[in-house]
Amino acid sequence: MSSNTLPALPALYEIEANAAWRRIEFISDLHLSAQQPRTTAAWTDYLVGSQADAIFILGDLFEVWIGDDARQPGRFEWSAAEVLVDAASRRTMGFMAGNRDFLVGAAMLKACGVAALPDPTLLSAWGQRVLLTHGDALCLGDEAYQAFRRQVRSEAWRHDFLLQPLATREQQARMMRDASQASQRRQTAADWVDVDAAAAVGWMNAAGSRELIHGHTHRPGSEVLAPGYTRHVLSDWDCDSEPLRAQVLRLTRDGFTRVDLVP
Amino acid sequence: MTKTVEMTTSAGVLRIELDDEKAPLSVANFLAYAAKGHYDNTVFHRVIKGFMVQGGGFAPGMKQKPTDAAIANEANNGLKNKHYTLAMARTSAPHSATAQFFINATDNTFLDFKSESPQGWGYAVFGRVVSGMDIVDAIERVSTGRKGGHDDVPLEDVLIQRVVVV
Repeated sequence: MSSNTLPALPALYEIEANAAWRRIEFISDLHLSAQQPRTTAAWTDYLVGSQADAIFILGDLFEVWIGDDARQPGRFEWSAAEVLVDAASRRTMGFMAGNRDFLVGAAMLKACGVAALPDPTLLSAWGQRVLLTHGDALCLGDEAYQAFRRQVRSEAWRHDFLLQPLATREQQARMMRDASQASQRRQTAADWVDVDAAAAVGWMNAAGSRELIHGHTHRPGSEVLAPGYTRHVLSDWDCDSEPLRAQVLRLTRDGFTRVDLVP
Repeated sequence: MTKTVEMTTSAGVLRIELDDEKAPLSVANFLAYAAKGHYDNTVFHRVIKGFMVQGGGFAPGMKQKPTDAAIANEANNGLKNKHYTLAMARTSAPHSATAQFFINATDNTFLDFKSESPQGWGYAVFGRVVSGMDIVDAIERVSTGRKGGHDDVPLEDVLIQRVVVV
């Protein structure tokens, strides 16, 4: 891809770590649903036990989110929201939408006491400027997905989708997921689209940041993308099927570490 | 049948009941390591509040100790990873446990056996702490950090001094 087509850094939202904070943790891609009870339980335990002063969820916390009105007693969305309420009573919680749960809205986050993090968000902590994104906006190699993303992230699509009855939305979400899984099955691991390195460095540079944290690709690791520019990729979580995966990226004054919440 | 051992740690004494009926291999394995003094002067090297405390593999200074052959995974024995139970630690290979074990610091349902497949083996529970739960709670709460290339290592050593059958 030629450099003149790289997406510019979207309007940058900035947050600053509280001076008293000692530990910030990042998670993403848990893909929680009623069908993932063990992953949901591990996530709940983590939120209770973590000693972090702030936890930022960088997208795809939920396998799917069909609207904040799905948060009704007896439904999975309700119990998950209760976990977030409890977590937010213990520390600062932030939520950035991913490609699965981009319909999590202000009503849900307000009810939970969780701060909305636009994608991207720049976090300043202990003198470092860290750029946070889910990552899908930078996966430029998948042009079909980028077109789909532009469509479903538009205000018009969101408005029309949310007007439909809950049952209809559930059915549509299921169809979209099946189509996405079928297309993923046609690809091998090597084909999976990654973040465009030039675009990622461009975003970091424009934000005055040297470190990027993203999820989405399910390929955890830290990597120098260009001299002086590092990205930290978050792990997905799956405690319902081995190999179990439940990893947290931790930032302290001393830098980044990864914590595996599996034995 | 159960066997009881006393694990003396720098934080206090744990009394542990081992279920050698449901987990005969894991219990025999644990007792063999205990009998030859493997656990004496080892540390709880991985402590994660709200999850588990793990030990049995490292001497102070994060020096890894040699182990015997790996044992078969007995997670299909019906025992669950409840709070204060002991289970065998392992790598992502189901049948790779040697000396290291962990004490669950909460009900870790996601570690339980689901199926005899690489996706579902889970972690083999072979005993439970029957007294000294407050000691486990205290170990779980110690301050941790990075040491010897490992995360979540207690900043001040929590030692296992000896494990004896009572």
